[in-house]
This record gives sequence, structure tokens and C-alpha cells, in this order.
Amino acid sequence: MFGGLIDNYTQSILIFTGINIIAAYSFFAPFKTGQVSLGQAGFMAIGAYASAIMTQKMGLPFALALPIGGVVAGVIGVIVGFPALRIKGVYLLLLTLGLSEIIQVIILSWDYTGGAQGFRNIPFNRHTMGWCFGLIVVLMIFFARLERSSLGRAMDSIQQDETAAEAMGVDVVRTKLFAFGTGAAIAGLAGALFAHQTTYVDSTTFNILLSIEILTFVVVGGGSTCWGPAVGAFVLTLLPQLLRTFRDALELTPVSWTNFYPMNRIYDFFYDFLDFENAKRLIAFGVILIVMMIVRPDGLLTRDSMRWLSLARWRAKRA
Amino acid sequence: MPNKLGICLAIDRLSKRFGGFYALNEVSMGVVKGHIHALIGPNGAGKTTLFNVVSGILSADSGGIMFEGQPLNHSRPSKRTLLGLARTFQNIRLFPHLTALETVMVGEHCRSYHSVLGAVSDVFRQLPFQEAREERTMRANAIELLEFLGLADKCNAKAADLSYGDQRKLEMARALATQPRLLLLDEPAAGLNPHETEELDAVITRIRDRGITIILVEHDMRLVMGISDQITVLNFGTKIAEGNPEQIQRDPAVVEAYLGEDVQL
Repeated sequence: MFGGLIDNYTQSILIFTGINIIAAYSFFAPFKTGQVSLGQAGFMAIGAYASAIMTQKMGLPFALALPIGGVVAGVIGVIVGFPALRIKGVYLLLLTLGLSEIIQVIILSWDYTGGAQGFRNIPFNRHTMGWCFGLIVVLMIFFARLERSSLGRAMDSIQQDETAAEAMGVDVVRTKLFAFGTGAAIAGLAGALFAHQTTYVDSTTFNILLSIEILTFVVVGGGSTCWGPAVGAFVLTLLPQLLRTFRDALELTPVSWTNFYPMNRIYDFFYDFLDFENAKRLIAFGVILIVMMIVRPDGLLTRDSMRWLSLARWRAKRA
Repeated sequence: MPNKLGICLAIDRLSKRFGGFYALNEVSMGVVKGHIHALIGPNGAGKTTLFNVVSGILSADSGGIMFEGQPLNHSRPSKRTLLGLARTFQNIRLFPHLTALETVMVGEHCRSYHSVLGAVSDVFRQLPFQEAREERTMRANAIELLEFLGLADKCNAKAADLSYGDQRKLEMARALATQPRLLLLDEPAAGLNPHETEELDAVITRIRDRGITIILVEHDMRLVMGISDQITVLNFGTKIAEGNPEQIQRDPAVVEAYLGEDVQL
């Protein structure tokens, strides 16, 4: 798709942005019921391996392997969801963290899928872009409707006060299990897309850093509305690319402006700062994150900002 | 004693221990259908513990609870709410970021959707930019309830932004939205000014007139003596007296329990 319109580099950036958006939604589903999971990378790994086994070992088409990856991850998510029901906060973080460690070790020691050498020669899927953005549209519609539905409100109530929600007749156990399982399944889909884009995955591909990155997407984008995760993943994935573009723009400055002290030092500093391959870029990234958390602790998009942006408000204003 | 059919809630020798401390010690009581039954006693008498055990948030160590002839032991709070038992909380527990309307609609959720899967399929079934039919009836009912409690103009205010008195009312609206037959009110007048307490008096009577049995934990004796049909007095986890307001006011054991406290019985 879009083959003639955009070059390969842009396409691969867009694909990984899309996968990140899907992964962000996988974190958002359990988060909506107050469950903070650091195991989403683990569920991505399950989806990636399950779907890759289907395509590479069983010879199934990608269109079948993708949902299988999602379902396998979802089923394991529901199983893990049971112990996760009883614990909250930091302890749930540790449980999900432990889960993804277990998954990594299993992958590392499982010879069938290459063990420590990684899973090689996964068939490349030429249509990842289409799948990715199709899936994102479906997820956005689902979560937007969820937000305006009774179930969505019930989930919000669990997030805000679990005891009160239970006392008001909300089936907290099943709702939380549903949310956790859905999150795991979505992560599985993201993992399946990832595996068939890179054609190679190993035990370190889906590590704890990825889980933390996914958490960051939702925290930065805003976890209280269904658009937050997408915005967060989009901004944070493209931010490094954007910094790189700034560096390219910097290169356009005439040499005569910067070939003397102190301009040469200033130029070098900013050049390094914005260099894609340079560790200092991560500093810029970190600084932006810190500023974000001080200026907008609830994320870029909040419930109030969505209300402010809503059509109903503009209609009401005009009337 | 009224006949067995008239009993809404029967508590039989209920005990709850925290470590070595008996919060409830073999408490038995019967609540008559259609009554406002007050539960009073000095601080730490075990009133809120009794509420938590009846609503299922705590489990009892021994004893039994029958609600309309059905034993309640071991069922989860949400199941008890489905059976028709709702409560409010002493320390207000609203959903801070939801609006008043949304809060009440959460209460209606369990009546509109009996399973999570049913609710999920509704998320998929509804057309774009349209809301489910259930959603419309739920909203209409919620607005009606908010009007009933005098909160109609605060529909779209966030729960956390409401005044203390309105938060108490909203808790009652949320509990009523679950369509209870028995309502447990935990200190509904705490923190209200005299004028608001008078309003509350009227509201509680109106709820009773809808055919809902009410158990009321309250420290405001004027309110309790004015509206209760029956009063149970607890002290140190034990029932020390039961009767109508006149009997309680004359009971020496009650006067003893409150001795030294500035309470006008």
C-alpha cells in the first residue's frame, strides 16, 4: 500500500509508529479499569511468536496468523488476569514485570523457535502498513464507543474507586478480567505485526524497556481519554525523527556564520543534541518528558480538553 | 414481632473480630419491610462494621444474614446489590472525575446489563454517532433521580466539585439508581448544616414512601428520633437495646452508654 507515494524509510517509520499506537492501546485497556501493566511487551512477544510459528512453521497466511497471535496472547492475558485481580498498584507492576521476565526466559530456552539465536526467517508481510492502520481505525472506533457506553463508565468507576463500584453492582471481577484480556490480545496483535515487519525477533526484542516505553506513550498522551494513547505514541515515536529534521535544518546554516568561536561551539552542541545516532538526543527526549510531566501531568489530552474540543460545545456556543 | 413475611433483613448472631477485638459480638436484629430502622450507638460501637458486613465489603466470622429470605453469606457486594441491597458510605466515596449524571448512570449499569459480554456487544452494536437505546433510558432515569434529590441543575458538574451536602445526596442518588429494596445509609447527615439536615429528613421519608426499607446509621439524635420506626442501639459490638424511639429514650442501658456524652436523647 502507498508503495509509490512514500519512500521505504518513511514507510517503516510510519509502520513502527502504527505498531506503537496499537501497543499504547493495549496498555490503555487494562489502565481504564485502574490496572497498570508492565507486561505488555511480554504479551507482544507471545503474539509475535504465536503468529510467527503459524506463518513460518505451519505455513498459514498472515491474515490467519494475526488473529491467532491476538487470541493466544488474550487467553494467556485472562489467565494472568486472575491473580492480577487481587493486587493493586506497585504490586501489580511487579507481577506483570515478573510475567514478562518469565516469557523472556521461556523464549530464550525454547529451541523450537531458535532459542537464544532468535526466531529467523519470519515471512515478510508486504501489507503491514494497511493492516496496521486498519487495526488502528478499528481500535479507535471501539475505544471511542466504549468511552460513551455504560461499560466504559463502569470501567472508569472501577479506576476511580473499586470498592464503591463493586458496592454499586458493577461486576468488578469480570470487567477487570475483560479489560486485562483485551489489552493482552491487542498487544498480541501488535507483536504479530512487528514480527512480520522485521522478520526477526528474539528474547531481547520485547524487553522491559519496551513495556516502559508503552507506559510512557499513554502517560504522555493522556490516559483519561481514548485519543490520548494514539497521540502519545504518535508524538513520542516521531519526536526523535523530528529532532533529526531540526538537525538537518541546522546543517543549512552558512559555514561563515559558525566557523568562529563561540558560534562553532554552540553549533556543535546543538548538532550533537539533535543527532539521531547520538546519545545526547536521549537527553533532549528526557528533558521534554520532564517538562511535559510538570506542565501537563495528566497527559496531552485530558477529559477536560476533549470536552473543550467537542463538537457539542461548538454547537452550543454558536446557538 | 411482625410475621416472617414482613422481615426484609434478618441478622442472626453476627460476629466480626479484628484481631482480638470484637467489632460485632453476636448481634441479632430484624428489619421490618417498609420501616426506617435506625442504628445508633457511641463511636466505635460497630455500626459501620455491621454495614460493611451486610453489604459484603467485610465477611463475617460467624452468624448469618438473610435478605428477603435468601442467605447472603459469602456473596460478593455486587451480587448483593443485584439482589436489591444498596448502600452509601460514611466517608463519601464518589467517582471524582465522573459528572453527577455519569455517577448515577454507573449505578444503573447493573440493571441494564446483566453480563460483561452483553455490555461489550452493545459497544459494538450501536451505530456511529448514536447511542444505544439503553443509554437513553438510563439517562432519563438518572435525570429523574437527580431531580428527586434536588440535584437537577448539577447534572454536568464533576462529583469532586460538588458541595459536601450535594455529594451526600449524589451518593444516595447513585445507590437509588441500583433499584434497591433495602437502602443502607451510613451517617447521611454528617457534616450537613441544620437546614440541609431538615431537607435530608424529607428526602429519607420520600425514599421510604417509594417502598424502600431503610437502615440508617446516624449521630444526629433529633433526626433519628423524628423519622425512625424502630431503633437498635449498639455499644462495644453488642446490641444493648431495641425498640421504638420512645422506648429507646427511656431505656436506662442506652442512657448509660451515652453517659458523659453531650447527646440529647
